Amino acid sequence: MSDLWGRVDALLSGAERPSRYIDREWGAVHRPDAAYRVALMYPDTYEVGMANQALQVLADRLATLADVACERVFVPWVDMAAALREAGVPLFTLESCLPVSECDLLGITLPHELAYTNILGALDLAGIPLRAADRGEADPLVIGGGPAAHNPEPIAPFFDAILIGDGEEAVLELVAAHRSARRAGVGREEIVRSLARVEGVYVPSLYGAGPGGRLVASAGAPERVKRRVVRDLNEFESPACPVVPYADVVHDRATVEVLRGCSRGCRFCQAGMVYRPVRERSSDSIVRDAVAALTCTGHEEISLTSLSTADHSQLADVLRRLARRLEGTGIAVSVPSLRVDSFTLSLARLLGGGRKSGLTFAPEAGSQRLRDAINKNITEDELLATVRAAFGAGWRRLKLYFMLGLPTETDEDVAEIGHLVARVLAAAKEVTPPRERGGIRIAVSVSTFVPKAHTPFQWEGQLPLSGVRHRQAVLREAMPGKGVELSWHDAETSFLEAALARGGREMADVIERAWRSGAGFDAWTEHFSLTRWRAAFEAAGIDAETAAEAPFAEDAVLPWSHIDSGLAPAFLLAERRRAYGAETTADCTFGDCTGCGVCPSLSADLVLAGERRG
Amino acid sequence: MAEGFRLRVCHRKTGRLRYLSHLELVRACERAARRAHLPYAVSQGFTPRMRIAFGPALPVGTAGEREYFDLLLTRYIPADEVCASLTAVTAYDLAPLSCSYVSGREPSLAAALTIACYDLDVKGGIPPEDLRHALDALLRAGTLSTEHKGKTKVFDLAAALPKEPEVRSSEDHTTVRLTVRMGEQGSLRPDVLVRTALGHDVPATVTRTDLLIDDKGVWRRPL
Ligand code: SF4
Repeated sequence: MSDLWGRVDALLSGAERPSRYIDREWGAVHRPDAAYRVALMYPDTYEVGMANQALQVLADRLATLADVACERVFVPWVDMAAALREAGVPLFTLESCLPVSECDLLGITLPHELAYTNILGALDLAGIPLRAADRGEADPLVIGGGPAAHNPEPIAPFFDAILIGDGEEAVLELVAAHRSARRAGVGREEIVRSLARVEGVYVPSLYGAGPGGRLVASAGAPERVKRRVVRDLNEFESPACPVVPYADVVHDRATVEVLRGCSRGCRFCQAGMVYRPVRERSSDSIVRDAVAALTCTGHEEISLTSLSTADHSQLADVLRRLARRLEGTGIAVSVPSLRVDSFTLSLARLLGGGRKSGLTFAPEAGSQRLRDAINKNITEDELLATVRAAFGAGWRRLKLYFMLGLPTETDEDVAEIGHLVARVLAAAKEVTPPRERGGIRIAVSVSTFVPKAHTPFQWEGQLPLSGVRHRQAVLREAMPGKGVELSWHDAETSFLEAALARGGREMADVIERAWRSGAGFDAWTEHFSLTRWRAAFEAAGIDAETAAEAPFAEDAVLPWSHIDSGLAPAFLLAERRRAYGAETTADCTFGDCTGCGVCPSLSADLVLAGERRG
Repeated sequence: MAEGFRLRVCHRKTGRLRYLSHLELVRACERAARRAHLPYAVSQGFTPRMRIAFGPALPVGTAGEREYFDLLLTRYIPADEVCASLTAVTAYDLAPLSCSYVSGREPSLAAALTIACYDLDVKGGIPPEDLRHALDALLRAGTLSTEHKGKTKVFDLAAALPKEPEVRSSEDHTTVRLTVRMGEQGSLRPDVLVRTALGHDVPATVTRTDLLIDDKGVWRRPL
């Protein structure tokens, strides 16, 4: 084991925010004598990566193996990466300050497409060959997992294996498979093959091009990789003692995941499709784990996280119990976002502090027709009633999220966003005393729709950039000028996301070329250059526009056809048809099963802590 | 700080944790107080905050052997018990060294602590005589001006350095020992002083070894 600390230390006095690199936080686990070492990496800075709950959960699970060490790795910021390269110091883990290349397994989170170049940068800095095919016996196994794994192809050649779905159980099985294959004395090829026997694990090297663009599995690998699902979250305690960062990280607070999955059924939303079925944790275990995490970390805030926390059938009960436990401590309870249809004043009051931070709602579309088409079941009346209630009770700030370029969208739909915002503003003013109206802040944030795998819109192409710009102009025109702050999510970044998210294995060349020509930290606007990416597409002989914008035929073999998310293709197609007919589909947690196929095909079931009331 | 029990904690900030910024240090100490389940007082208002107050901030990268904060408790707990429970939940390099109650009427640490002692370990084989000569020459010049974010500060060295700097050397490194008086202008940074004296950058580790109260000419520790 080579401890790099002395050499890292020498570089820190010149580094921006050195506390990113020093380890020694409260809760960091050191196992110098471990027989097996896992490096878990988030492909962005410390501040972004430390907010990732999945890594905390995986570290917690790995800590149950007594002779295994789990160490954190983040991508050094540009200044430090340059200093490390110049000094010849490789990428290191935080806990032991070991070269990442000396670990047995390198697990990498796949949060979104814009992190791909950072993965290559990190592998290179670690001295690990970029492509799995070039790695030798001494190199760690490189295993990915996370939201972007649902279309693994664009990065498949860089990984020895990719986990599709929940990691709580699979991560232990992967370590066990690796260790037992090693004990058997087999070589890397056999080791990697043995990983394919773990449920939910995709080993790209075992799949080759077959007839009609279909990927064909070689012997021993499943024809389609079934997404891994944890049946009951109550079986896993939420991490009680996660690492407490010194640095001001993105979500600097303790967290408890209160439920997984969401079946509201928004048709553009990949998370809402691929994390089904809904599995709630019981209020007892939420309160127990929240108190445990606060006790162990000393955090000043506990966040109850999930895709749609307000849907939890016992949220009010949980909030009341926590409020009682935390009285007089100054510790705040927060939830990531509220939905218009589940917002109630009593809920918002239980959350305290909500008034200054403001409310956040996501109507996503301006017209009722388009909201129906995307299955965003919010009516304008509900939205306005909520706004009146909130502003009447003293709230002054509201943030609204919308999307441009949704399937079936017209200029009129987009202009409707402006009109809707105007009516929201009027409703807010109406119930706010005249003296206080100057304090009203409505922020409108608009992003571009990116079609994603395993959604009813997976066949759609993205609206061309010129079309996005035109719709932005339409929206700007229709927006009330005063009292509203309008901001855009960068359309060029969304274009790249679409091109990568819809791509197949050929995209790996583009990603590698883009990285070689200097791309990195693409999610950081100041580092993103579409020109550089366009050159990479061109050099790889791939048309970026076609990749992002050409729709797939309904009978086409999609690049992710071999990944079985559990969703029935017939369900996705039917949902697409219903979208075109502006017909909505109900949420199965409030009523009957709507036949998405996940429960029967993954032998899972809805887990509700109580009855949900719509 | 009033109504309550004002506990003064002396702690170190050493090793790797010298890289913490002041804000990071503040947050780390607050979290330790919560982990220790101390009955800390909380301010009123929309964002209730722990009633905790620190001495003069250390720059990122500078270690401290005796740093201080005052924490207001709502309930009396023997100081050594508080110290023990804080120690149990604090990283070694931030650990408390001693705790004691002080009167609520005493001025704040930030106002009271005006004398800081530093050790600057200079690396890179600079002969101690050269250092001594360079510092002497700078002291004779009498002033030092620094530029920070477009603002110029001029330090009167006779006032800023109430004691003559000492230069000591052992086999492999040279140590400059400085005593600095902190005024309205803020504190003269020891690394800046040495850099200016030498006319170039030198790799050095800086440690604030003590913080003192100047009580009408008598220097004493705040604890
Ligand atoms: S199979 Fe039915 S119950 Fe299960 S998630 Fe899908 S729609 Fe809901």
